[in-house]
Amino acid sequence: MNLPTDAPFVSRPAPRFAAGVLALGVHAVFVLLLVFGVSWQTQHPAPVMVDLWENLPKAAPPVAVKPPEPPPPPPVKAPEPVKAVPAPKPVADEPAPPKAPDIALEKKKAEAERLRKQKAEAERLEKLKAIQAEEQQARAEAARKAHEKQLAEQKKRELLRQMEEDLMQRTADEEAANAALAMKQAAERAAASKRQTEVARVVGQHRDQISAKVRGNTRLPDNLKGNPEVRCAVRLLPTGEVQSVRVTQSSGNAAYDEAVVRAIEKSSPLPLPADRDARAAFVPELSFVHRPKE
Amino acid sequence: MNPELSQDLSLLHLVLNASLPVQIVMALLLGASLMSWWFIFIKMFALKRALRMTDRFEREFWGGGDINAMYQRVAAEREDAGEMEHIFEAGFREFMKLRRQTGLSLNVIIDGTRRAMRATYQRELDGLESHLSFLATVGSVSPYVGLFGTVWGIMIAFMGLSSVAQATLAQVAPGIAEALIATAMGLFAAIPAVVGYNRYTHDIDRLANRMESFMEEFSNILQRQATKAV
Repeated sequence: MNLPTDAPFVSRPAPRFAAGVLALGVHAVFVLLLVFGVSWQTQHPAPVMVDLWENLPKAAPPVAVKPPEPPPPPPVKAPEPVKAVPAPKPVADEPAPPKAPDIALEKKKAEAERLRKQKAEAERLEKLKAIQAEEQQARAEAARKAHEKQLAEQKKRELLRQMEEDLMQRTADEEAANAALAMKQAAERAAASKRQTEVARVVGQHRDQISAKVRGNTRLPDNLKGNPEVRCAVRLLPTGEVQSVRVTQSSGNAAYDEAVVRAIEKSSPLPLPADRDARAAFVPELSFVHRPKE
Repeated sequence: MNPELSQDLSLLHLVLNASLPVQIVMALLLGASLMSWWFIFIKMFALKRALRMTDRFEREFWGGGDINAMYQRVAAEREDAGEMEHIFEAGFREFMKLRRQTGLSLNVIIDGTRRAMRATYQRELDGLESHLSFLATVGSVSPYVGLFGTVWGIMIAFMGLSSVAQATLAQVAPGIAEALIATAMGLFAAIPAVVGYNRYTHDIDRLANRMESFMEEFSNILQRQATKAV
C-alpha cells in the first residue's frame, strides 16, 4: 500500500488579507458618513432684536410720499413744446443777411477756393506720404526677407550639423548596444548550457534510480543466459504512476520480457525529478532499456 | 438649563460618555461587525473563484476533450484547480487504480470510484461552508445584544432622573441617545451578516447540486468505459 499517493488534496484558503482590508474599509466609510454626513450639533439661530414703535416719527411720511413725485416732471416738460412754438423768431432773423449778399458770396467763394486748395494740397501731401510709406514698407519688407533667408540658411546649416552629430552618436550607441547584446547573449548561452548540463545530470541520476528500482523488483527466469537487453515504452503520469508498459524490442526470451514488464508495473510510482525541465524527459512517455546485470 | 451639555451630541462624545456595560456591548458589536464583514469578503472571493473554476471545468469536460489528458492536467496543477476538478481527479484516480487490479467486478469498481468522489465532495463542500455559521450567529444574535445595551443605557438614564426634583426632557435625552447607538450598531452588524449568509448558502447549494449531478454523470461515463473495455 502506498498511502501518500492516496492522500486527499486540501484546497488553499481564500485570500484573507485583502478581505480584512476591505472589511476595515467598509467600517471606515460608514463612520466617516456618520461623522460628516449627519449634523450632530443642534444650532440655535442667533437672537434677533426687534424694536416696536407705537408712534412713528413725523419725518417718515415724506419719505414714503416721495416716490409719487416723479410723475409731475412730465407735465413740466410738456409746456416746452409749447414754448418751441415761438421759435420762429430765428426764421424771422434769417431774411436779414440778403442785405449784403455779394460780400458774403465772394467771401464764401474765396473761402471755398481756399478750402479747395488746401484740400488739394493736403491730398497731394497725403499721396506723397503714402508713396513714401509704401517705399519704406517695401524696403523694410526686403530687409526682413533677406534677414529671414539668412536665418533659414543658418538654421539649415545647424540642422545639418546636428543631423551629422546625431548620426555619429547613433552609430556609437548602436555599437555599444551590439556589444552589450553580444555579451548578454554569451552570458545567456553560458547559463543555458549550464542549465542543460544540470538537467542532463538530474535526468541521468533519475534514470539510474529507476533502473535500480526496477532491477530490484525483477525476478529473473531460470533459463536466462547472458545479459540480454529489453526496450520498453512506459507511459507515465506527472506523479510517476505507471499507466502502461509496452515492449518495443524484445530480448528474444518471452519469459524475461514478461518479468521486466511486471517489474516496471510493480515499481510504480517511479522516482521522477522535481525539476519541470528534467521531468520532460520522462513524462508522458519514457523509453526504458533494461539489462539484468549492470 | 445648561445648554452646552445638552447640545453636544457628537458621535464620539456619545460613545465615550456611555456607561461601562453599554461601552462593552458597543465594543462587542464592533468586533462582530468587523469579523462578519471579513468573512463576507473571504466567502465572496472564494465563491467567485469556485463558480468561475466550475464553469471552466464543465465547459472543458463537456467540450469533448480527452479524459486522460484532462486528468494529467488536473493532477499537474491541483494547487490551482477548482472544487469540481478535485472531485474529478479523485474519482478518475481511484477508477484507474481499481481497474488495474484484475478480477474486480464492475460494481466494485464503480462503487469505489463513487465513494472516492463523494469523500472529496464532502471535503470541498466543508471548505466552502466554513465561516457561514459565524455569519448566521452574528445575524441572529447581534440585534439582541444591541437591544440589551440600549435597555441598560435607558435604565441608567431614568435612574439619574429620579434624583432630580424637576424632570425635563433635556436630562434624559443624552442618555437615551447614547443608549440607542447600541441598537444601531447591532443592526449594522446584523443586516449584512444575514444578507451574506442567505446569499452564500444559496450559492453553495447551487454549486453542490452541480457537483452532485456531475458525480452521477461521470460515474455513468466511467461505467460505460469499463464495460466497453471488459
